[in-house]
Amino acid sequence: MKPLDGVRICDFTLHAAGPYGTHYLSMLGAQCIKIESRARLDIHRRPHPVYGRLEPAEFDQGNGDKYAVVLNLRTPKGVELAKRLVSVSEIVAENFRPGVIRRLGLSYDVLKQLRPALVMASVSAAGQIGPEWADPGYAPIFAAVGGLGYLTGYEDGPPVELRNMMDNVTGLTMACAVLVALYKARKTGMGEHVDVAAREVASSFLGDAMVAASMGIPVQRKGNEMPYASPHGAYPCTGDDAWITISVKTQTEWEALARTLEATPLLEDPRFSDASRRWLNRKALDELIATFTSRHDRKALTKRLQAAGVAAFASLSAKDLAEDEHLRMRGTITDMTGPNGNTRAVVNAPWRFEKTPARMDRWMPGLGEHNEYVFGEILGLAKSEIARLVDEEVIW
Amino acid sequence: MTISTERKPLVDGEASASVLEPQPGAPLAGLIAVEHGKGVAASYAGRVLAMMGATVIKLERPREGDPLRYEPPLLPTKHSSSAIYTYLNVNKASVTLDVASEAGRALLGELLQRATFFIDDTHPQNRAGWRIAPADICAELPDLIYVSVLPFGAFGPYAEYRATEINVFHSSGEGYLLPNGLALEIFPDRPPIKAYGHLGEFQGGTSAALAAVAALLALPAAGGQAVDVSVQDANVALSAMTLQRYGDGVLETRPTRSFTYGGVLECADGHVQILLLEQRQWNLMLKMLGSPAWATAPGMEDPMTRGKRGKLINEHLRAWAKSHTVEEVVRLAREAEVPLGKYFSPHDIIASEHERARGFIGEIALDNGTVVAMPTFPFRLSESPTPTLRSVPGRPGEHNDAVLGSMLGHTSVELDLWRALGVI
Repeated sequence: MKPLDGVRICDFTLHAAGPYGTHYLSMLGAQCIKIESRARLDIHRRPHPVYGRLEPAEFDQGNGDKYAVVLNLRTPKGVELAKRLVSVSEIVAENFRPGVIRRLGLSYDVLKQLRPALVMASVSAAGQIGPEWADPGYAPIFAAVGGLGYLTGYEDGPPVELRNMMDNVTGLTMACAVLVALYKARKTGMGEHVDVAAREVASSFLGDAMVAASMGIPVQRKGNEMPYASPHGAYPCTGDDAWITISVKTQTEWEALARTLEATPLLEDPRFSDASRRWLNRKALDELIATFTSRHDRKALTKRLQAAGVAAFASLSAKDLAEDEHLRMRGTITDMTGPNGNTRAVVNAPWRFEKTPARMDRWMPGLGEHNEYVFGEILGLAKSEIARLVDEEVIW
Repeated sequence: MTISTERKPLVDGEASASVLEPQPGAPLAGLIAVEHGKGVAASYAGRVLAMMGATVIKLERPREGDPLRYEPPLLPTKHSSSAIYTYLNVNKASVTLDVASEAGRALLGELLQRATFFIDDTHPQNRAGWRIAPADICAELPDLIYVSVLPFGAFGPYAEYRATEINVFHSSGEGYLLPNGLALEIFPDRPPIKAYGHLGEFQGGTSAALAAVAALLALPAAGGQAVDVSVQDANVALSAMTLQRYGDGVLETRPTRSFTYGGVLECADGHVQILLLEQRQWNLMLKMLGSPAWATAPGMEDPMTRGKRGKLINEHLRAWAKSHTVEEVVRLAREAEVPLGKYFSPHDIIASEHERARGFIGEIALDNGTVVAMPTFPFRLSESPTPTLRSVPGRPGEHNDAVLGSMLGHTSVELDLWRALGVI
């Protein structure tokens, strides 16, 4: 039993944040019907020259477990079938540019007539309303407009573009919003239109900076620094591009760090004798710590520092994640085998429910793979009727 | 002390206790969450529930309160508070409780009798000693949703590891890849960095709030349960695309991950971000620039060939941007429908007409009367009131009387005794 057993989602999302959002819901057990068309493919079914990919992706994390149909929303019959799917769904999700879903005749105002308790989520860069509603956006852009990019970076360098992670952050927030709305809809019988603005998701992760800024306290890029913590940063280890992060605040942690690194002379150095002196001399201390960490293996050092009570962890690459024993044991990283027999490590559900486990179980579907199941079994269309709609380029 | 098994409705308290009153029309109005945590992730999970209308009772340590009250930048409030504490704890009630004491543990049990959610980030070793592990609490309260929020989760080889934001962020794949683009070009030999502030913990908190509401939806069929939320797990999800590419045979590193062209552009007075993923967008950009010769040279029309000339393209784009102000570049891009955005500072966001119009930026008075701005909530619900900022706890335990007295029914004599013993 999964938390959202029995919930169905009519999912029009095709790009990044939207599919990630419904992916969270489908890992929670919702039956997610992904609606594409030959003219409107999910981004992962298309080439991605920026990543040097001229073919569709073999696997897309955001679409595992989903049921895929094709439906041509440029035809009246396609829109009609979409409405029939909505009427048997508790949730609708879309991330077209604002205005498109209305032009298609599938706005919340129309759909709630079919099902008053419907929860509909719209995800866009700037939201459905507000003077800048039409602004387009990809993850690095809404991270920039949302302020996270501005505050991320070296103190003396430019802002930093934040990438796919922002799509996922937005998708997670959308999924959370949908569940809150679903709870209310079940309780009151009244649905909700959930308007998620990706730039606001980014901004909500720096609310502390806005509180400070509104009081005239300067907030700037600070690299790896956290106020009054030193040493605090990423330090080199043996091997190529190998790093360990260390975070020390208290005197006890400092002494444990120095002893573990066999850097006890630093304990005698008056520049580092207490937390405030370490903070004032942090740049010099960082350089010294780096000379000691660079003699160690990052993972072995992590274990030794943790055993000594110091917050430390290796900086992990994708390869490290795929092989990590902790993540494997928790089921956060699992293996999946595709239709071509290839097995790969995938990111699985991030929560461990005691009674209702959430999980991605299946590979992403092929285009229109579930046409017969969805239009036949769920909507009750006869096979001949489905065939006719295929010929008419409605199921297309 | 006897523990009542009857769930009592909330009672009206004094003015300072208005955060204990349900918000009419809010999705989670009438539900109580007890938050026992000292980290950003657990506290943000509580904030999400509070902004959605739940009554959130935050348990702080007697006397000094939540450690986040002391994390810089500090605010000039009457009682110790910081920017992060203020943001995270708006609309919560503050109760001081030493759950390690016998009386404190019993009071926690009484509070949880009335709660739907318990959010806890106590280190696993202390949970066992204080009898607040999921097994202890859920055995007493079968309808309770216990949300455990720990850096690496409640089981697995790293479960007892200590971590702050930088450790957990870098344990999840994204830290290894920051920075890329322009910052990496300028400083190719520096260590990787974390994202600003507590991004990883905010992600963990969002994940925890989502899990709490998912368990709430499952409550009628499954009853209460424990959910083990790991901040690392929540952040590994951010690496989904990176892991996907690894499965395709591409191991991303900071240099290889950078966009071949576009990215961060420095203007005369600030920075913008441009991203041209599709051919159509490249064409729109050409139009915006007036189709200069360098951009229309043979080979530039093909995305793959173009990708190999990223350095040249960036030289031209950067020179163009540097000769304009941010405002000019944003206006030109908007007219041409080129995906581009300004790198907004926190000041810019507070002042943004767009965000004000959407009700995203709210204002709240601190305990000294100073008014500060902060985000309300990153989504809007069409049929529910926009979340309003009601109050921020002043002193730790500001709501002790309202919660332990009015709500739980304890006498002032009992409260005085517990104060003297350091329980509250």
